[in-house]
Amino acid sequence: MKFYYFHLMPYVMDHDEPSSWVTLSNRLYDPKVGHTLYNQYLDQLEYAETLGWDGLCVNEHHQNCYGTMPSPNVMAAMLARRTSRAKIAILGNGLPLRENPLRIAEEIAMLDVVSGGRVVSGFVRGISAEYFSTGANPTQSRERFYEAAELILRAWTEEGPFPFDGKYYRYHYVNPWPRPLQKPHPPVWCPSQGSSETVEWAAKRRFPYLMVFTPIKRIAQIYGEYREACERFGYTASRYQLTVNVPIVVAPTDARARELAQQHVMWVFNTGLRMHPPFWRPPGYMTEASLRRLLANPPKLPSELTFEEADREGYIVYGSPATVRDKLRVFSDELKAGIVCSGMNGGSHEKTLEMMELFAREVMPHFREDAHVDETAGVGR
Amino acid sequence: MPERRELSVRGTPVHMLEDGAGPPLLFLHGAGGAGRWLPFQERLAKTFTVRMPSHPGHGGSPAAEWIEHVSDLAFHYLDLLDGLGLARVHLAGASFGGWIAAEIAVMASHRLASLVLIDPVGIKVDGWIYPFLFGMDIPEIVATVFHDPMAALALAPPDQSVETLALQYRQGAALARVAWNPYLYDPLLRRRLVRIAAPTLVCWGAHDRLAPLAPCGETWAREIPGARLRVFADSGHVPHLEEPGAVAEAVSEFCRETKEAR
Repeated sequence: MKFYYFHLMPYVMDHDEPSSWVTLSNRLYDPKVGHTLYNQYLDQLEYAETLGWDGLCVNEHHQNCYGTMPSPNVMAAMLARRTSRAKIAILGNGLPLRENPLRIAEEIAMLDVVSGGRVVSGFVRGISAEYFSTGANPTQSRERFYEAAELILRAWTEEGPFPFDGKYYRYHYVNPWPRPLQKPHPPVWCPSQGSSETVEWAAKRRFPYLMVFTPIKRIAQIYGEYREACERFGYTASRYQLTVNVPIVVAPTDARARELAQQHVMWVFNTGLRMHPPFWRPPGYMTEASLRRLLANPPKLPSELTFEEADREGYIVYGSPATVRDKLRVFSDELKAGIVCSGMNGGSHEKTLEMMELFAREVMPHFREDAHVDETAGVGR
Repeated sequence: MPERRELSVRGTPVHMLEDGAGPPLLFLHGAGGAGRWLPFQERLAKTFTVRMPSHPGHGGSPAAEWIEHVSDLAFHYLDLLDGLGLARVHLAGASFGGWIAAEIAVMASHRLASLVLIDPVGIKVDGWIYPFLFGMDIPEIVATVFHDPMAALALAPPDQSVETLALQYRQGAALARVAWNPYLYDPLLRRRLVRIAAPTLVCWGAHDRLAPLAPCGETWAREIPGARLRVFADSGHVPHLEEPGAVAEAVSEFCRETKEAR
């Protein structure tokens, strides 16, 4: 199995506001604290490569304390120069949020060339709240996503210049310099929460599907749907098309790991994802079919998730190295996921680095039967 | 009880309520008002043959993918008038419906015997940004739209079933398609208002917090040539719900006067 170190770059804080997104005033952001945090987080990502992680993940979110990376490409650029081996996975760029998505084609190509072809390019729609913070029309989200993806893929693979006359994006000259180094283009991943439309779209193009912060039962269900869709499109999904993002807490004992998970991981759900209810459901962001599926089986709001529920339903992997190995076996052997993306939080920068060391020493080596495999070969393009 | 009609307007299905006797009046509802035949409509139906279609994606009218701009709705209603064989009508609209009515009026004023706008949105008003209803929960919306929160009960959903929630989501999406950004206005509409030649009555709730009388109502009354402004002292954004009798009376009186003046 491959391990990618995933960072949200949160601005961890407690507050009593109804929403950690969109309306949480940025007067609460202290740039001096931010300076320390950004640099510690980048140190963690760089250290992950030293410790043997296969990839480093950054991602885009706007106007919140949950993840302070409005431009993931900026962070990827720093990693491109400070690392030399690990993949740099941008999970991803919110395509419909850009007025000019050709910029994404350009920026990813720059990163791919600078990094020597180590970039993984996630294509996302951006989560619901993003439509409130950027002004993008949520009713156009899906169409814009498909059109921007087509534009970017063509910009990477067709010789320019060529004209592009879409419904939302129009250019007389598509001809980005540079072109990406990877051929035919950097692998594309689809991080998502399991909408059936996205599953189909990703499966059709062999784009790996990444389940983010999802109960394990639902991961199994969506993986099933994805595999089935791949078969319908005439091929069998590689395990590296099935990826998962789950927080991992490892400590010398189960009891200590449980304590740390309660203290630090639950912040992500209970505070980081606390959202004013309308921000969860911008009009038209979902198809009516998806909405009905959601209403038929409404998921618990992350802000109301208790540790016991998160534990029971498999939102978190925590424990001693032996316990974490057992839990990860479920992902590798039962779900047959090929890549696990996870962030860690030990409560301080130093403790986080120690946790990473423990994981790299006691857990990772037990999952290295595929050490010689390039997980990006033949997938994502 | 109004008659329920199912029509097809150039292939777009429309659900419409109709009742009353007298000259034809087309009423265009605001967000959340689809299919609600309330005291205001009952009162108007004593003077007019009132037709209230549900906008596509609202109430009983299914969503129409082709509608992507407010002018699409305006053309849709001109087509509806053609389909009904109505050469000229009294046209009234409230809030979002007032916006559509104004778009129709700048296109085809000659089709209108009169125009009544009740707290319309739809133009950019200097010095005012409409509060973002899409980002509000129900209590915040009620506090923004209604002067008397009890009046909101008339628009309350019947239940919280999947069907009701799906309808509300569909209505929100249909509104957002044409009104998310720019929010609640068409940048081109204001400078076109001068084209409106129909006699126009602008009704405004004195306590409108979504589009306050000053500057919004005053701007509309100033930009439409010869428009008359009537203010309703006990209303917020929806005077036809909060003072239905008084607004219906003002509409009837205005239409009678304009007829006598001709």
